[in-house]
Amino acid sequence: MKKHLLYSLLAAFTFISSCSKDTTLAETNLAQKMIEDKAWFLDYSQTGTLTKTYVGQATYYINFLKNGATQDSDGLNGTYSVEKISGQLQIHVQATTSNGNAIEYIYTIVSAGASNLILSYTLSGKTTQLYYTSKR
Amino acid sequence: MHPISKVNVAALFLTLLIQNTTFGQTKISDKEQSQKPQEKIYLKQTSAEGIRKFKKNFTASWNKTFINFTDNSTYLLAGMNFSNQGITAAGYNAGFNYNISENTASGFKSGYFAGFRVDGLYQDKRNYSFQVSLNKIATANNYKDTKSLPPFLGSFSNFKADDQFLNLNIAMHYKKLLAISDTSKYKFYFVLGPSLDTRLSAQSADNLVNNNYTRFLLRGDLGFEFENKNFYTLFLHYKQGLTSFTKSPIKTNINSFEMGMMIKASDLF
Repeated sequence: MKKHLLYSLLAAFTFISSCSKDTTLAETNLAQKMIEDKAWFLDYSQTGTLTKTYVGQATYYINFLKNGATQDSDGLNGTYSVEKISGQLQIHVQATTSNGNAIEYIYTIVSAGASNLILSYTLSGKTTQLYYTSKR
Repeated sequence: MHPISKVNVAALFLTLLIQNTTFGQTKISDKEQSQKPQEKIYLKQTSAEGIRKFKKNFTASWNKTFINFTDNSTYLLAGMNFSNQGITAAGYNAGFNYNISENTASGFKSGYFAGFRVDGLYQDKRNYSFQVSLNKIATANNYKDTKSLPPFLGSFSNFKADDQFLNLNIAMHYKKLLAISDTSKYKFYFVLGPSLDTRLSAQSADNLVNNNYTRFLLRGDLGFEFENKNFYTLFLHYKQGLTSFTKSPIKTNINSFEMGMMIKASDLF
């Protein structure tokens, strides 16, 4: 009888606590949800100790649409996807310029929020962080 | 022998022969047909025997385990709860940021609960109660600390606390009768005991990423109860979180007030 009770308790505990989650999918879905259907305006950029501010100026912006399309203020149009590579969330953009030239770039997502987005990229060994705020 | 008698005997013989043949065939057919119901009856008897044995063993085990718990009455209970969640999460880092001003609130948010409770005597002298309930909890989330990244980000956190939970609660109380008014009519109790919540609801998408919430929450439960001439009991409890509902380094403390009423199940059914 004690065995029956023990087995029942073990089964109940296993049922309750055994919930495996695909955390990578959850993470990319959440990041996608955070950035989509918003226009992201560049407020600051920071390379090493050099910080540039664009607040109050006509600045660069980029749109990430819900259907996977993207367009920015430089006239680039294309598609984007949120991926997790080597433990880091990234935005992968494949676009064409207004002249029809193909362009591809990847930003690392440092931090994504409902109204604040920090991206980074590394060029010639120097990392630049880009600080965006959203306007719907 | 008279010819008619001969015919009679022959007819009788034939009749008996036909009857015997038919009867014999019916018997075989009956055997075949009755096999299945017999199997069913056998299976029924076996399962009934199994159930009877289980009941007997269970009752024996129950009585042996709970020998000290006597004079039990079962009550149905329901009521409202008011909860808040104190959050300390500055040590937590994740790839998402949440504006504190949009997510923090003071005070308490209301939810509700329903369940049953067994009240009785422990060792024939101490009042106790054992409660099982389903609690829908809504919490006002109060962030105790924040992060900032000037000039870009003001107060933010990498953790967004959930504010809706469905918990299965199990609580055990020691009840102390207070000598207030005529205790033969009105009884006032002070109650105290542990309370264990098991989270049944899923986490929000924000917390699924790092699976931040734990499954269990241990709280201390204390309160007052008023029993009106055995008709009904009104109660007010306060539950103080003893363990965090989230994994380290995030610390969340869920505290609740619960007010409700309970009625003896036998009075209702």
